[in-house]
Amino acid sequence: MTTEGAVDVEQSVGEGSRLRTVGGHAVLIVLSVVCVFPIYWLYATSLRAPGDVYSLSVLPWPLSLEHYADAFAKADILRMLINTTIVAVLTALGQLLVGLLAAYAFAGWKFRFQKLLYLMFVGTWLVPFQVTMMPNYVLLSRLDLLNTLAGVIVPTLCSALGVLMLRQHLLGFPKELLEAARMDGRSSWGILWTVVVPTLRPVLAALGILLAITAWNEYFWPALVLQRSNDVVQLGLRSFMGTEGNDWGPLMATAGLTCLPVFLLYMVLQRHIVNAFVRSGLK
Amino acid sequence: MRRKLLAAVGAALALTTALAGCGLGGETPAAGSNTTTSRIPELKADQQVSIVFESYNFGQAGAWTDTFNELIGKFTAAHPNIKVTPQKPQGNSANPATDTIPSIQAQMAAGNPPDVAQLGFSDLDFTINELKAAPLDDLVGKDEVQKNFDGAKYPFAKTARTLGDWGGKTYGVPFVFSTPVLYYNADLFTKAGLDPAKPPKTWSEVEQAALAIKGKTGKEGVYVDCLTKGSKDWCFQSIARSNGGRVISEDRKALSFADGPTVEAVTAMQKMVKSGAMPNRNQQQGTEGFARGDFGMIVESSALQGTFGKGLKENLKSAAMPAFDGKPVVPTNSGASLFVFAKDPAKQRAAWELIKFLTSEEAYTTIATKIGYLPLRTKLVEDPAGLKPWADKNPLIKPNLEQLDRMEPWVSFPGPSYLQIRDGMMSAVENSVFQGADPQSTLKTAQDAAAKLVPEGGR
Repeated sequence: MTTEGAVDVEQSVGEGSRLRTVGGHAVLIVLSVVCVFPIYWLYATSLRAPGDVYSLSVLPWPLSLEHYADAFAKADILRMLINTTIVAVLTALGQLLVGLLAAYAFAGWKFRFQKLLYLMFVGTWLVPFQVTMMPNYVLLSRLDLLNTLAGVIVPTLCSALGVLMLRQHLLGFPKELLEAARMDGRSSWGILWTVVVPTLRPVLAALGILLAITAWNEYFWPALVLQRSNDVVQLGLRSFMGTEGNDWGPLMATAGLTCLPVFLLYMVLQRHIVNAFVRSGLK
Repeated sequence: MRRKLLAAVGAALALTTALAGCGLGGETPAAGSNTTTSRIPELKADQQVSIVFESYNFGQAGAWTDTFNELIGKFTAAHPNIKVTPQKPQGNSANPATDTIPSIQAQMAAGNPPDVAQLGFSDLDFTINELKAAPLDDLVGKDEVQKNFDGAKYPFAKTARTLGDWGGKTYGVPFVFSTPVLYYNADLFTKAGLDPAKPPKTWSEVEQAALAIKGKTGKEGVYVDCLTKGSKDWCFQSIARSNGGRVISEDRKALSFADGPTVEAVTAMQKMVKSGAMPNRNQQQGTEGFARGDFGMIVESSALQGTFGKGLKENLKSAAMPAFDGKPVVPTNSGASLFVFAKDPAKQRAAWELIKFLTSEEAYTTIATKIGYLPLRTKLVEDPAGLKPWADKNPLIKPNLEQLDRMEPWVSFPGPSYLQIRDGMMSAVENSVFQGADPQSTLKTAQDAAAKLVPEGGR
């Protein structure tokens, strides 16, 4: 009797947990479909025949690559992708370098106004981009950097997020290791590159990927700086929209191509990217 | 003494704050004062000049950018001493044409505005009175400006010549525009038992045809792309004028979009929504739905003709703007003019040379055949060596060309808050037509609110 009761309870507990699991999966499946469908629609539209571009059918048939050919004919997609890669890589490297040096100083030394300076550094994170946009624009104009890739990169070289994250990691860095390196007679500069950086490599890789993806997706600032060309791919996308209506076919084809490098990066370095998001506390 | 000092400091602070609040920076002339400009000398043959030309056409890939680059190439070949740098307006709107004014303002703040810019007619008051575009009559003389309108062989359409004028002077040379056209889907007309050769001529005929299409084909009847904030007010003004109304009084002192005839016109549009002839859709849903074949008719600018043609092909037909029963249609224009912002006389002369070239017979022939824009030198379409072959192949442009004769200008609102006035009016129109709000009280409330934004004494 008692045994039968226990089995019943176990069974109902088992069923309850299975139901919860099934329910949880159902919710996740619905959410996944909601997230993936716009991306599916993007590629589906890009692969429709030109006459079917306004079609609402879920399956694009017959398939056609004409929109891709059209996109390459109307815009210099290859140059845009190369330029965007240059911007994303240089921006991420610059932000890592500035962040590393600043974090090393904040974590490794004690100096006057240290906390205040750090707060000011991090405080820049709270200032919306729109506030600094015009002064930056005027400065670029005076430096004659408007309409150049350097103009897109230079004002974004310091990332408060980078400084904040790297400082947190450096604070947890074993002091004994630094002391030992100093006793070996290494300079501060030498310690940074031979002791700190090799140890922080996973963190730097994860943060670098995060910063590169952010720079790759950036639209607002390049739209202000690059007035005489569509040198980066996010601006190239906009060039298929306008007063005369949106050219959805090549627009979707270019958007599909723009997503590919980030998808590839994500697939190859999935663990690092998830790690980067978890470490940064961002979603 | 101390009180005086405090008062002086206070006054200085107030003045500084007020000046900073003007927003455009020190290089922008104060509103209301007219720039005095003297006649500019001709360029010497070896005088090298560089100018910047800003146009929203450079923001759109394909035929637009390519055609304009081709024109700039031809201009440079004819004027080797003038270097033209083309650029699109800066900004991040999906439609670069909406970035034009903020772009000029930002570049003025940086002390570096473009020398020539293509700006919309809705911005005319602001362009002249706030941004201080140079009066072309003063720069090169009235005769020279009129000579350009007359052209080498084909003059500008009479109604188009004065669209860039202000206070008796020409500031902008009208460049490209459309009038409202009724596009319709011949296939849906046939399926609904309507004759595609006899498109509706009045709004009541439009409503009947729309209901027939909806009833017999299950598709939507009509979309009038003139009645939302997103559509701006260029063709809403045509609807108001065609019923005897105006959005602003002729002396530009008082708003009048809540007057009887305009309210009546809005009520007629609302009736089409209530009867089911027109669904509640936004601009994009309307235009793309029509291109997809889901609407029987649409009132639209010819700028979208190419988009419609891709979807509907030979089923796309065009007709004149519908009339209110017993009243003449008053078409208005969309589009833009070319203005000069250069301050240096050599750049001003180079800018004028560029404007002359871009509005020449040669340029209009290129623009019409490659982009499909309406040639403002209308008689070009009768010239077998000009645009006649193109016009014969494109009968859809006919209603647009015919409407030019009785066209009236798209009137811009006055003052620095002109966009707020326009958007307030169009929000009230949208609420009335599509949300079922009472047109009389909704338009009156919007008009009373917007009246506070009209500069005292009008303009």
